[in-house]
Amino acid sequence: MTPSCDVKYMRLKAAMAVVQQKLEKEREECSLLPLVHDIIKCMDKDSQDVHQELAKLKTKIQEAREQIANMPGIDSSPVDQQQQLATLREQVRTKNQLLQKYKSLCMFDAPKAS
Amino acid sequence: MAAVAERSTKERLFSVLDDLEVLSRELIEMLALSRSQKLPQPGEDVQILELLVQRDREFQDLMEVARQQGKVHQEMQLLEKEVEKRDSDIQQLQKQLKEAEHVLATAVYQAKEKLKSIDKARKGSISSEEIIKYAHRISASNAVCAPLNWVPGDPRRPYPTDLEMRSGTLGHMANLPTNGVNGHLPGDALAAGRLPDVLTPHYPWQSSDISVGMLPPHHSNDFGLEPPGHNKENEDDVEAMSTDSSSSSSDSD
Repeated sequence: MTPSCDVKYMRLKAAMAVVQQKLEKEREECSLLPLVHDIIKCMDKDSQDVHQELAKLKTKIQEAREQIANMPGIDSSPVDQQQQLATLREQVRTKNQLLQKYKSLCMFDAPKAS
Repeated sequence: MAAVAERSTKERLFSVLDDLEVLSRELIEMLALSRSQKLPQPGEDVQILELLVQRDREFQDLMEVARQQGKVHQEMQLLEKEVEKRDSDIQQLQKQLKEAEHVLATAVYQAKEKLKSIDKARKGSISSEEIIKYAHRISASNAVCAPLNWVPGDPRRPYPTDLEMRSGTLGHMANLPTNGVNGHLPGDALAAGRLPDVLTPHYPWQSSDISVGMLPPHHSNDFGLEPPGHNKENEDDVEAMSTDSSSSSSDSD
C-alpha cells in the first residue's frame, strides 16, 4: 500500500468512526433509559430533584411523540414502502423506455428527456 | 406476526412509546412504594426493568427504521417528480404525434386528389402541339390581343367577335343562338379572313358534350361550317346584339 493510499484509508476510517459516533449519539438521544436511571438515582438519594427529573422524562416522551408524528415516510411499513419504491422505479424505467422508443422513431422534434 | 408486519412504523413507534411510558411509570411507582413501605420486591421490579430495557431497545431500532424510511421517502419524492416530468414529456410527444397525424392525413388526402386529377388528365390527354396550334389560330385573328399598330378605325379587331363569344362556354351557358351570326361586324373577322378557319377544327378540349348538352336541339354546334349569311332572318338581331356586345366590351375596357 502506497503512503497516499494509507492516508486515504486512515481518513476513511476516521470518517466512519465519526458516522458511528453520530449514530450512537442518535440512538442514545432516542433512549429513555438515561432519564429513568437519573430518576432512580435521585430516589435513592432522596433528592428533591426527582420531580424535575420526572418532568424531564414526561417532556422527553412528549417530544418523542411530536417527533414521530412529524417524521416523513413512516405511514407505511418498510415492506410496503419498498414495494412502492419498486413500483415508482419501474414506472420511471418504463416511461424512459417509452420516450427513448419515441425519440428513435419520430422524425420531428422531441422534447429532451433530461 | 403478519399483522405486526402490516402495521405502519408510526403506529408501532407510538405503541412502543406508550409501553415505555407505562413501564417507566410502573417502575418508578414500584420503587417509590417499596422505599416508602420498606418492602423489597426484587423479582417484579427486575422483570419490569428488563421489559423496559427491551422496549427501549425496540424503540431505538424502530427510530432507526423510521430514519431509513425517511430517506427512502425522499428518494420516492424524487422519483415521483421524475415520473411527473416523464408524463409531461409523453403528453407533449403525444400532442406532437397528433399534429403529425393531422398533417399527414391532409397530405394523403391532397395526394389522392392530385392522383385523381392526374388520372383524369391522362384519360383525356391533349397534345401540346394541338394547343399551340389553337393558340396560333386564335391569336392570328387578333381575337386575344390587338395588333401593335392598331388605332381606332382599324378594321382588325382587338376583341373577340360576337360569334366567338357565342361559341365559347359562356355563350353556351347563356344559351345564345349561334346560327348565322357571321358577318355581323363589317370588316372585322371577315376582313381578317380567318374566322371560319378558327372555328372549323374541332379540338378535344372543346367538349362536344357541353355544346350538345347546353344547346337546344335545333342549334347545331358546327356553326363554323355554315357559310356566312346562312340565316338571313336572324341577321338584324345579331347585328344589334353584336353591337351590344361590342359596346359592352368597350364599356368593360
